[in-house]
Amino acid sequence: MRRTPRHRLVLATGALSAGLVLAACGPSIDGGDGKEENAGDALQAPSEDSPSGEITIWNRSGDLYNVFDAAIDDFNEVYPDIEVDHQTVDIDAKLQNTLITGSDVPDGVFLDDAKVGGYADYLWDLREVLDPYLEDIAPQKVDVNSLDGSIYGVPFDLNPGLLFYNDAALSEAGVDATSIETYDDLLDAAREYQEAEPGSGPIHLEQSAFLGQLQLEMFAGQLATSLADADGELRLDTPEYLRILEWLDTVRSEGLGTRAEYLSPSDVGALEATDQVFYPWAIWFNFAPQQQLTETRGDWRAMPLPAWEEGGARGGAMGGSSFVLPKDGENADLAWLFYEFLMYDEAGYTAVYGPNDIYPDGLNTSIPAYEPAADPDDPLFGPIEAMGGQDLWSTAVEAGEEIPGGAPIPAWWDGAVDYLGVNIQRMLDGDMTPEEVLAQSSEDIQENLIDRQ
Amino acid sequence: MTTTALTADPAPQRGHRRAVLRRQLAPYAFILPFIAVFAAFGVYPMIFTLRLSFTDWRGSGTATWIGIDNYTYLLTNPAFWGSMANSGVLWLLIVPAQLVLGVLIAVALDNAKLRLRGFYRVAFLVPFVTPLVAVAQIWVVIFDRDYGVVNGLLGLVGLPDVGWLTTSAWAKPTLALLFLWKTTGFVVIILLSGLQAIDRSVYDAAEIDGANRLRRLWSITVPLLKRTLLFVVVLQTLAVFQMFAEPYVVTDGGPYGSTTTAGLYLYDHINRADLGTGAANSFLLVIVVMLMSLLFVRLLRTED
Amino acid sequence: MTAATRVRVRPRPPRVTAGVRTAGTQAFLWVLTVAFLAPVVWAVVSAFKPATAIVSDPLGLDIGTLTWDNFKLMFADVPIGQGFVNTAIVLAAKGSITLFCAPLAGYAFAKYRFPGRNLLFGTVLITLMLPVIVLIIPLLLEMKELGWVNTYQALILPGAVDAFAIFWMRQVIAEIPDELLDAARIDGCGEFGIFTRIVLPVIKPAMAGLAVLTVMNIYNDFVWPVVVASSERMATLQVVLSTLAQNITGNRIGADYATVTGELLAAVSVAMIPLLIIFVFLQKHFINGILAGSMKG
Repeated sequence: MRRTPRHRLVLATGALSAGLVLAACGPSIDGGDGKEENAGDALQAPSEDSPSGEITIWNRSGDLYNVFDAAIDDFNEVYPDIEVDHQTVDIDAKLQNTLITGSDVPDGVFLDDAKVGGYADYLWDLREVLDPYLEDIAPQKVDVNSLDGSIYGVPFDLNPGLLFYNDAALSEAGVDATSIETYDDLLDAAREYQEAEPGSGPIHLEQSAFLGQLQLEMFAGQLATSLADADGELRLDTPEYLRILEWLDTVRSEGLGTRAEYLSPSDVGALEATDQVFYPWAIWFNFAPQQQLTETRGDWRAMPLPAWEEGGARGGAMGGSSFVLPKDGENADLAWLFYEFLMYDEAGYTAVYGPNDIYPDGLNTSIPAYEPAADPDDPLFGPIEAMGGQDLWSTAVEAGEEIPGGAPIPAWWDGAVDYLGVNIQRMLDGDMTPEEVLAQSSEDIQENLIDRQ
Repeated sequence: MTTTALTADPAPQRGHRRAVLRRQLAPYAFILPFIAVFAAFGVYPMIFTLRLSFTDWRGSGTATWIGIDNYTYLLTNPAFWGSMANSGVLWLLIVPAQLVLGVLIAVALDNAKLRLRGFYRVAFLVPFVTPLVAVAQIWVVIFDRDYGVVNGLLGLVGLPDVGWLTTSAWAKPTLALLFLWKTTGFVVIILLSGLQAIDRSVYDAAEIDGANRLRRLWSITVPLLKRTLLFVVVLQTLAVFQMFAEPYVVTDGGPYGSTTTAGLYLYDHINRADLGTGAANSFLLVIVVMLMSLLFVRLLRTED
Repeated sequence: MTAATRVRVRPRPPRVTAGVRTAGTQAFLWVLTVAFLAPVVWAVVSAFKPATAIVSDPLGLDIGTLTWDNFKLMFADVPIGQGFVNTAIVLAAKGSITLFCAPLAGYAFAKYRFPGRNLLFGTVLITLMLPVIVLIIPLLLEMKELGWVNTYQALILPGAVDAFAIFWMRQVIAEIPDELLDAARIDGCGEFGIFTRIVLPVIKPAMAGLAVLTVMNIYNDFVWPVVVASSERMATLQVVLSTLAQNITGNRIGADYATVTGELLAAVSVAMIPLLIIFVFLQKHFINGILAGSMKG
């Protein structure tokens, strides 16, 4: 089952001859007809009623670790004989190497959607076990976990983009935010606000190359496109992307933006000083008014993203995570039961999203990707006081339903940040035009990432 | 290349045969523990890497032999040369400054009558003994544009904030400063050891001649310290071109790739599981570093 | 150069200027000392400040608000105690191997001529130039074949014989006069006896320097342990630190900048202090050791 190099190791206490070592080491090399067996890569759920065993689950440290950790007890009520060893791990630094060596491989790993494709060779295909649920999972989340007809991740959360705005500051300046329906309306509102508040930069312009590219994909998702199509073909140099970049470039050239890294101290400063009042971002921005913005807490509201054209889609996804099950994990089938319970069983998803010790009002930085859990009329998390008591659940769930499918994430998405993400920043510096960004990034991504796969 | 001649046996008599034999075998016995570990965990992976550099291999499946493709890809890639240039600029920012600073501090500390001498020697070495991951994190925090200590201090004297880690113009100097701060103490100690080997009487003669301190430093100390200085330059050249953890933690190669050093660029391939290209990149790096080292040695020779 | 040969003859400088000079030297050294110590002092002091104050007022210090909160949070969050234990085990084993093998091999390279010597020493020098990162993947595959991933052996053996240590020991031992060794030989000393009775005592100071340098390298090693010790129970101190650091550098959703900074500075302080204490106690040996191993050859 494992496809590892069959190199033999000459461990040589006395092997002084370099020639001897040379002959025996290195991965096995051939002409590379590279046929990969596909049968047997699909995970099967265990058949017994109460399976037993120990599973190792990797998570990153922080709030979500605590949330999932608390849900283990609920899981054990249903599966008392499965012991969960839940660890915090620097996943980016360790997963690649662990998968290559195939030693001490965890049974389940929490992973950014954008990274799933890169590890597909090492992961179970989850088509069969997910089959009963597929109909009810947000199409965007199925797409991002799909590669060549297989599904490599258990979709966790849906991260609809929303337009966050400082309602109090805008009202005071006489700007009516609720009438914003398109990105052009947003520009007008920003101009209006700037007139009332000279020196402000109302719209957030992201300065991190990675998050800037993630946000770009949210905008593109609204136009039902993404960096690559289902066959992995690059589709960046398109009218859709040009439209988005020209809009960002307008914000820059008219001085309508505040350029800062997401929630860096300077970003927080501009938000607190009401210099920055529009933040088109994923739902997880609401962490800021709840935890970081002590001055403007309660002033913030959220609405669906503006549309690119009148009547266009107002939902786009930004970020998100899934769970992957490495083939070398000993009890991957049991880990599937763990994730199945957390994501698709009412007791499970209520434990994750509902009120708990970590989030007393419920986990409200994302919404479930599983539609029965994301019922607009049956909120899992309550109104958010830091957002003036707004019922963010229904806003987010409705925005989530509007996210078009058809936007898969290519395996090289992360690597593209060095080109596209960086070039967007150059554009925001005023050193590149939108056309140049698209042409240059396409060329670089094709040459350095796609052609070298 | 190899020398077969044994040092002449002082008393080649029959009774000494066993001693001679023992003496022939002794060095092998002495290097055996080292060889065992070195062959298994040094030479073996090195040769593995060399072979890997001619293949396309993603860490799983079989590797495809592709000849020198990885090398030509890198040598024709502006990003590769960019990473070399970044390391080159860092070298220029670091090594000359470190030599000047190191010599000045070492000469000041070389005076046995200097008060607080022991304290200074320890103080300059404190950064050297702190964990790199830790100090790199400290750097991130104190050089933050908005809430960092450094800009806070600049503000006190009325200077504007500087985007130390967020602008391509400043990121390299800031990284160079971290490297200087972390390693200068060690350089000082090495230079001190060189200074101790200098015969005191040379100074006394110059002092009688009335040469002022700077002139004495330049015309007496520096030439006599040349071998030690060369050693420092070679050591630091290796370190600068392999620099990896500093930009990895502090800037992640940004902004705009301005701190993507040769070491970090190499890591990018490995991180992307493009192991063949990573291997080729490291051998190119070894060649560059070796050429530079040879160049320094040659420069030293011609001046002699 | 010509300037040096045309040294003007001047009267000896009066005592006053000598005083000014000393004052100048002292001022120069003080400024640098402050610059060298400030970041470390700032980090340790800040670790005791409330997390929000570290970010909002990095320069301020209000004695009344000092707290252990950052430390408590950090100890609850990451297995730093386990990290200390693992680091100590690796330190003891790996350090002993280096301190045994390096002088012995250095002795062979410096004082014997034997077939293969230059080839071997050349290989040592090339290893010195090869970036460590590139050997990681091959080494990792080797560990896998041996079944050593997530074991102490994997943390200890690779890199146990540091190329720099061999190089340095060779230089130091080369300084010992051959006559000394030959005299011992005539007295009937065996080859290993010469090493233990003559060479080791002479290079003791340099060995002390090597010991401190080795301890520091092992203690601060980070790339290899992160890769080979993926399981939590094998994490060394530096691995624990880097896990914590990813929260700041990784744009983590839900990671509060101030809290994480506070935890990190607490962890940094805890990680730095043992080494600083060791260093302050052993600094004489270290400095004298390096001085003894001076690069004359």
